[in-house]
Amino acid sequence: MAKIRTGDITTHVQRLPAGAAGGTAPEGEAPVVVFVHGLLTDSLASYYFTLGPAFSAAGVDVVMYDLRGHGRTDRPRTGYQLEAFVEDLAYLLDGLEEERPVHLVGNSFGGTVAAAFAAWHPERAASVTMIESEPPVAAWTGHMAEGLAHARRELVRDEAIDWIAEQHGAHTARLSRGAGRILASTTLAEDIPSGRVIDDDLSAIRCPLLAVFGDESGLSAQVPELEAKLPDCRTVVLPRQGHSVLVEQPTRTRDLVLDWVRAHHVPGRRAAAVAGAAR
Amino acid sequence: MTTEATTTATGTPGAEHDEGTVLRQIATMLRELPDAGLDDAEITRETLFHDDLELESIDLVALAGSLREHYGERVNVALFIADLELDEIIALTVGQLVDYVAESLRAAERG
Repeated sequence: MAKIRTGDITTHVQRLPAGAAGGTAPEGEAPVVVFVHGLLTDSLASYYFTLGPAFSAAGVDVVMYDLRGHGRTDRPRTGYQLEAFVEDLAYLLDGLEEERPVHLVGNSFGGTVAAAFAAWHPERAASVTMIESEPPVAAWTGHMAEGLAHARRELVRDEAIDWIAEQHGAHTARLSRGAGRILASTTLAEDIPSGRVIDDDLSAIRCPLLAVFGDESGLSAQVPELEAKLPDCRTVVLPRQGHSVLVEQPTRTRDLVLDWVRAHHVPGRRAAAVAGAAR
Repeated sequence: MTTEATTTATGTPGAEHDEGTVLRQIATMLRELPDAGLDDAEITRETLFHDDLELESIDLVALAGSLREHYGERVNVALFIADLELDEIIALTVGQLVDYVAESLRAAERG
């Protein structure tokens, strides 16, 4: 199990080089995709068993990692502001000696981390894909504060977990209990809404952005605003689909994101990035 | 890597690719997983990773790492898992993984 020092914590990372999961390695420089998972009930396993192998087989260098507090990455008691998640990723890419601008693909909160990384490290981001996510603006922190406070109240109650088991099955109940443990043992619920944000005009996001939504989740209401504010933006709204786009439509998601990454792959960006930094 | 035992007939008891040997190997890996709490777990072919061992999916990632360390290129767990749907992963038995590993080892031997 690969662990890399990322600032004050140790981060669990899994890589699948292009061609490692079958298929053939591409000629020339492969694109690199960094998958960023969601909050509380999630880990890199969501990609390791779905998009990760498919992307590797399609000739993409894949990086998957556990966010701080999640999976097998360290869980400090404090320090869960958005900028901490973003800095972990910057340290991680340094540790992996990854010099290519990366295609960031984030699910839910992971998409927010991806967008924030692109805003604060523009030279390192080739593109951003947000799956059922909001960009890191002030309104987002309000939504998160509400949701996290509710989750912290409920997920520590046995009756709430029993209800989840009845409604959604034992698997979801187990995930929810794990989420409750994170909320009870860390300051994550207060930290995330109190972190750094970007301006509402989204001008900080300068790379191409793909946003995928389910039409039943409510987040798809952002589509007109994203398209108006971002110069290079594609939005896709999947019909009859709620928030769990990645889990419920893995094949569709894979095809959408692979096409997107291929269309935005510029081989030799490594050299260009170095030259750009020198200017 | 070629030995007398592995060049003779398929399924030879005690050979590395024998299902019984692979099962014992995987059971050992599972008991040694950090943070999974399986030190004394009973593990058979019918054991379910999710419901019986209560493994989280992140534990399966660690198991895939152990398999890669032990068997190297001969067993591609990522490829095996890429072919499964999420509900199939949740319903995965130890025996299914054992069969895949054993078959991969035999295929590698045949070259």
